[in-house]
Amino acid sequence: MNKPSLSNDVVVQTHELTKRYDEFTALDSLSIQVGRGQILGFIGPNGAGKTTTIRILVGLSRPTSGSASIAGADCVTEARKIKRLVGYMPDDFGKYNNMRVGEYLDFFGAAYGIGRRKRMLRIDEVLEIAGATYMKDLFVDALSRGMQQRVAIARTLMHDPEVLILDEPANGLDPQARIDMRIMLLRLAEMGKTLIVTSHILPELARVCDVVAMITKGKLRAFGTVDEIMRDIKQRRTMEIQLVDSASVDTVTELTNAWLKNGNGESTAEPAHAEAIVRFSTSLTDAELAPLLGHLIERQQLISQFREVPTDLEDAFLSVAGKGEDAPLADSHPTPADNEAVEA
Amino acid sequence: MATHTTAIAEESVVNPIAKREFLGILRSPKAFGVLLGLTLIFSVAVLIRWPSAGTVDLSGTQSIQVFRMFGYGLLAGVVFLIPAFPAVSIVNEKNDGTLALLLNSPLTPLKIYLGKLAGILMFSLLVLMASLPGAAACYVMGGVDLYSGIGRFYLLLVLLIVHYVTLAMLVSSYVHTADAGVRITYTVIFITALLTLLPAAFFVGDAGLIGTAANYLRSLSPIPVLTELMQQSSPGQRGLISQSTWPRFALFASVSSVVCAMWTLSRLNYRIFDRSRAQGVMTEDRSTGERLIRRLMYIVDPQRRKAGIPWYLNPVMVKEFRCRRFGRSQWLFRLVAISAVLSVALTFAAATSVTAWGTETIGGLMVILQVILIVVLTPSLASGLISGERDGSGWELLRLTPLSASKIVRGKLLSVLWTLTLVLFATLPGYLVMIYIQPQMVVQIKLVLICLLLTVIYTLAVSAAVGSLFRTTATATTVAYIIVIAIFVTPLLIWLGRDAPFGYQLVNAVLMTNPACAALSIIKTPGFEIYDLLPGAWWISGTLSVLLFGLFGFQVWRLTRPV
Repeated sequence: MNKPSLSNDVVVQTHELTKRYDEFTALDSLSIQVGRGQILGFIGPNGAGKTTTIRILVGLSRPTSGSASIAGADCVTEARKIKRLVGYMPDDFGKYNNMRVGEYLDFFGAAYGIGRRKRMLRIDEVLEIAGATYMKDLFVDALSRGMQQRVAIARTLMHDPEVLILDEPANGLDPQARIDMRIMLLRLAEMGKTLIVTSHILPELARVCDVVAMITKGKLRAFGTVDEIMRDIKQRRTMEIQLVDSASVDTVTELTNAWLKNGNGESTAEPAHAEAIVRFSTSLTDAELAPLLGHLIERQQLISQFREVPTDLEDAFLSVAGKGEDAPLADSHPTPADNEAVEA
Repeated sequence: MATHTTAIAEESVVNPIAKREFLGILRSPKAFGVLLGLTLIFSVAVLIRWPSAGTVDLSGTQSIQVFRMFGYGLLAGVVFLIPAFPAVSIVNEKNDGTLALLLNSPLTPLKIYLGKLAGILMFSLLVLMASLPGAAACYVMGGVDLYSGIGRFYLLLVLLIVHYVTLAMLVSSYVHTADAGVRITYTVIFITALLTLLPAAFFVGDAGLIGTAANYLRSLSPIPVLTELMQQSSPGQRGLISQSTWPRFALFASVSSVVCAMWTLSRLNYRIFDRSRAQGVMTEDRSTGERLIRRLMYIVDPQRRKAGIPWYLNPVMVKEFRCRRFGRSQWLFRLVAISAVLSVALTFAAATSVTAWGTETIGGLMVILQVILIVVLTPSLASGLISGERDGSGWELLRLTPLSASKIVRGKLLSVLWTLTLVLFATLPGYLVMIYIQPQMVVQIKLVLICLLLTVIYTLAVSAAVGSLFRTTATATTVAYIIVIAIFVTPLLIWLGRDAPFGYQLVNAVLMTNPACAALSIIKTPGFEIYDLLPGAWWISGTLSVLLFGLFGFQVWRLTRPV
């Protein structure tokens, strides 16, 4: 399935969004933009401020300062409009006992003021989209986690919102259900929905997201497309020298360190005796690194591989999360405005 | 080395679950409230009956009066407060996942059960100990025997505590939510303590099989034993020839405790986590013949697919009906039918077999029955209106919808009001029979029905407002039950002391706080006929209801707005 094309039509926008609880700053000047049909992956460790941002966006919480809008509607002053524009799926399912799935969706449809005839048709439609048609007569409180997630998606779609905000949609799902969820998210984006998805399962996000926002301690650390963030992370990459024999690990480590020191002294190589590997991180290009390999071979070292460790979104996240709040990455990463320029 | 061995021996003697359970209860604000509340009740009960005159009462009447006040207060405290702890004990462990851990540990089910039981009993012992100064004061006054009076009273309490704790733990092992545990436990206690007295009260002169059965049934309640200890006549007592209910009650409480304990113990294994949730075949998917049979068998078929919520109905109200077992139409119809049949049977039985009673007593009994029904049902339906949503994350979803706070309030309150009104009006046939017997009672019955409707509204307002103040349904249900029961029992306790020490004015004023007492007064129930409670009772309950609904509305508004 192809990813949806990016759009310049901004649907979700936050500007200097800040939320403080007494002395504690849960969210600190967050500015992001998401275009129509885009999927934003919202990444951050527990307590980073993801849920606070989402709660402000859906009108459940008020910001201390800054602004947020969805499709032009202000999230604070136009809360009722926002409720019709946004479909929010919280981490908790919110089940009601003794209700069948059809009745459950009927209630939410009625709560959104959808007429009875249209609602009955809509229930079948959303169940079909969520792949949950067979669940219509099942009791909500007897559903498994995976089934609940599907019904929750259906519930979120009932009033046909423009923006979907899904909090940990892949949480607790088995591999097959995760794949199904991924396909469903892409399908929704194809339908023109704008999605904001939080997840701890980063490879999942990397596969579906157009834009990724990384947030720690309430601050935006990185924002951009997955490729842009990877490119930035790759400015420092990890290299591995695989040796034939672990006996020469110390010698190679010393030689590498000496070579790196002569260069720019930017990092130190570390030995991994059990694996017969010497590892170091560097910002040098391939052309700049090539002489190191020649240098080691000249000194009679038996090297079986000289390789770069592949970087993924998890590494990017760890790299970003590992940096303290004194070194915000968002400055060095493309800002939403830059994104627009790049896309243009 | 010796010290180390002793330490290990000590550790193995103290059941770790008993220790954790006891400390867990003691640390909870609920336990603090129980201890503080009961200590206050004991102190006030003794103080208000303590003789102020500087004369010696050689007959011992005054001390017996003090002892009665103390005894009823303590029994009420034990009956209404202690079961709240065991009622959630197993279900909370099950839902939190700690029961699975315990069952997976080397602890045997017996040890787990005994540990939990011991923890709760230790707390109950603490409650009883808090009452000892009050009991000592009664004894010091003279006139109350240490062994046959105070000793037997405490024996009764111990029996009752073990009986109710084991019963509540059995309930807790079956239910799936903490509030269901509280609800069902209080309902069963209400039935065994109060409803079992009614048949004996009706068939008081009957020496036949029904009368004997009613008399046995009466022995299940601790109240006749208590009245016996307090040297008073008890409800349903057979005239002057009264047989002690002590042995029967002691036997029943002991056997019931053992049975409940063994039953609960048999459930403490991995099967406790099994939850069959058969979806059933939808009627629309059945054959024509089967559909026809179901159409004939059910007024409202629970297996039929529901039509969508129509535009003229509040969706929150419909949701409340649908997600409550008793809200489901088929259950509601059953409840209404049972109420209707009971009320007619009651009036018919009274009119045909106990003619000496007169319509006043029959009417009084009907009012009491309806009030019991209201007291049992209302907190169970209304206390969790908001906390139930907050417990299960449904509140967040409701807040996301465009539903206004006032629509949510109306939907939720109407769902309870409709149920209670239906049940209340199902008893109308009984009153119609009464009017048929005594046509001049029409006006009285109209006033009684207004009082009962106000009782429903007042109880609903109290339960909903109190329940909305708590985050968890179990706490909301427990507190709502305690407050509602206190609202209904306190005036009756004061009424019991209507000759002394409370004067007419005070009793009249206290009874006026409860519209149910006004109903008893209108129907001229013996003992209530002298009080003039209207329209004061309507004004008081009406004003309080408006204020409490206001509080409920404010809570909903506060919880729906962005923070």
